[in-house]
Amino acid sequence: MQRGDSLNSPFVPFSPNPSIQQGTPTSTPPLKHTLSSSTSSNLRYSSSRKSIYDRHLNRSQRSELSKASFAFLFGEMVQYAQKRVNGIADLEKKLNLHGYSIGQRLLELLLWREGRSAKRETRILGILQFITTTVYRSIFNKPADGLEKSRDNEDEYMLIDNDPMVNSYISVPKEMSQLNCAAFVAGIIEAVLDGCLFPGRVTAHSVPTEQLPAKTVFLIKFDDSVIERESVLVVTRAL
Amino acid sequence: MVILSLLILNKAGGLIFQRDFNEGLKKLSSNDYLVLAGTFHGVHAITSRISPLRDLGGGGGGGLEVLESDKFRMQCFQTLTGTKFLIFAEPNQPNVDVVVRRVYELYADYVMKNPFYQIEMPIRCEAFERNLVAYIKPKQ
Amino acid sequence: MPISYYLRGDITNPPSSASTTPTTMTIYSFYIFDRHCECIYIKQWHQRDRTFRPTSSATSTVDSPVTLSSDRHSAAGSKLQNEVHPSGRGGRLSVQDDAKLVFGVVFSLRNMVRKLSGPDDSFISYRTGSYKLHYYETATNLKFVLLTDVKTSNLKVVLHQIYVNLYVEFGGFCYNYSASMVCLLFIVTKNPLSPIEHPGGEGVAVELFEMGLDSFIVSYCTLRRVRSWLTRLGIENNTGLTYHSAIGYTR
Repeated sequence: MQRGDSLNSPFVPFSPNPSIQQGTPTSTPPLKHTLSSSTSSNLRYSSSRKSIYDRHLNRSQRSELSKASFAFLFGEMVQYAQKRVNGIADLEKKLNLHGYSIGQRLLELLLWREGRSAKRETRILGILQFITTTVYRSIFNKPADGLEKSRDNEDEYMLIDNDPMVNSYISVPKEMSQLNCAAFVAGIIEAVLDGCLFPGRVTAHSVPTEQLPAKTVFLIKFDDSVIERESVLVVTRAL
Repeated sequence: MVILSLLILNKAGGLIFQRDFNEGLKKLSSNDYLVLAGTFHGVHAITSRISPLRDLGGGGGGGLEVLESDKFRMQCFQTLTGTKFLIFAEPNQPNVDVVVRRVYELYADYVMKNPFYQIEMPIRCEAFERNLVAYIKPKQ
Repeated sequence: MPISYYLRGDITNPPSSASTTPTTMTIYSFYIFDRHCECIYIKQWHQRDRTFRPTSSATSTVDSPVTLSSDRHSAAGSKLQNEVHPSGRGGRLSVQDDAKLVFGVVFSLRNMVRKLSGPDDSFISYRTGSYKLHYYETATNLKFVLLTDVKTSNLKVVLHQIYVNLYVEFGGFCYNYSASMVCLLFIVTKNPLSPIEHPGGEGVAVELFEMGLDSFIVSYCTLRRVRSWLTRLGIENNTGLTYHSAIGYTR
């Protein structure tokens, strides 16, 4: 059977189970195959013989991941990035890029999960709310700790996280004090904004306080086009 | 609970962390601490060698675990990877092994998961020290 | 059962494992080092005795001790040859090497303790997973070291008793090193015959010391056993049995 062969090949076939393709959760076991179940599971195939791609997209919505394994993975990611850059700004950019590619996919998934009620935000406040609640909740299982508008600049907003999960085990050495590894999260935010047609730049800055030594502010600076559009919307709404 | 001091030795006997939490032990120069760590590393190896049970086929049973003096009590915990944690406490301090376990846990979290930490090198992790102090200090 | 001083409870009435006070105490070995860092006395109970002999009476368990002397003092040499195991078998150390290692350990630890908490602090004991080492140092820099099982509590008092009641009483053998006036004084006051009758230093004094040590250790173990029986029977220690009465037994 085709499925049996695929166990040995590095490529994963699309699920032959029609009920999965239709998007309805199913309790029927996957296709029977004669291979003994004693062969160990690997990353692609869990012990239940279902690859991660076979699962329904909603299936992992509420499931949790090990924080330790994430911390090790993220740590390796930072180390990997560190070897290929010169300078802290470069490193932050690299982390930002990593986050960006995740954010793009995450936005798609979140909107898909919302189903018919999903809508594309058109206002700045709306999209920021979406990020602080829906996006933050889906990744970190908590809303962001604050959202502020810059007093000085019209186009700047600040999203506050008192203890970014990605930084929980990270101590940045003194000589790199400007670095904040939450640039990765900034990348995710940037991608979500971009995906909703709010282009801009998001950067992470450490603002340690006595009680909150890991406090991080994500500075969101929108493009001029976004601000322009926003002012037009305000005017039309007022008419 | 009064924990006086904590030392961490890497598997080669090098001192990678030292911190005093309470008064009670003398403050040594960093060089003296390095010498002390190296000496202890050797002594630890010998203590498992001179075990009387070695001769009886009972295995060495590991090296020094608890050292007692008039003024302090030191608990030594060696991880399976050879890192040693030395915790100095007051002589009649109970449950030091719980403290050792917890410190090991903090080490695993805030040192080993830190991408900027180079293994076997001196520990300079601000989050580790912060959590260590938060764990040990309020318990007094 | 490997250790001769593994004093058991009554066979018909084995000690319950639930009992918190250990009914047995195992003593592995005993060392004395002088102030010149030389090992002047060794007794290892665990090395020779590989088979367990039931201990009916205390004195019957006294086996001939392993004595050791330095090279310049060969009186005990013949005795030594019978006792020392062939070194190298299974990587095992000779008795002398063992003593050197023990000295190295206690010396380093003692210095470490002093360095960390001042010269008035003293190193008492350490334990590993398999044994416990007790240490006592006199004002004259004599070092007494006793290796026991891990469950044994603090034996500093016992080592002190050995020093005061046995070493000082019968300790003629330290005359051989005659380096310290203090030692000479002991010999003059306590054992006046020794330096004259036994110029080699070996002889009555050492034997007396060994006999004393043996019976002291045994009676100490017995005392503990009696006590733990009494405790188990719910009788408080009102018998007046103390370590000092154990000492009295040796005289």
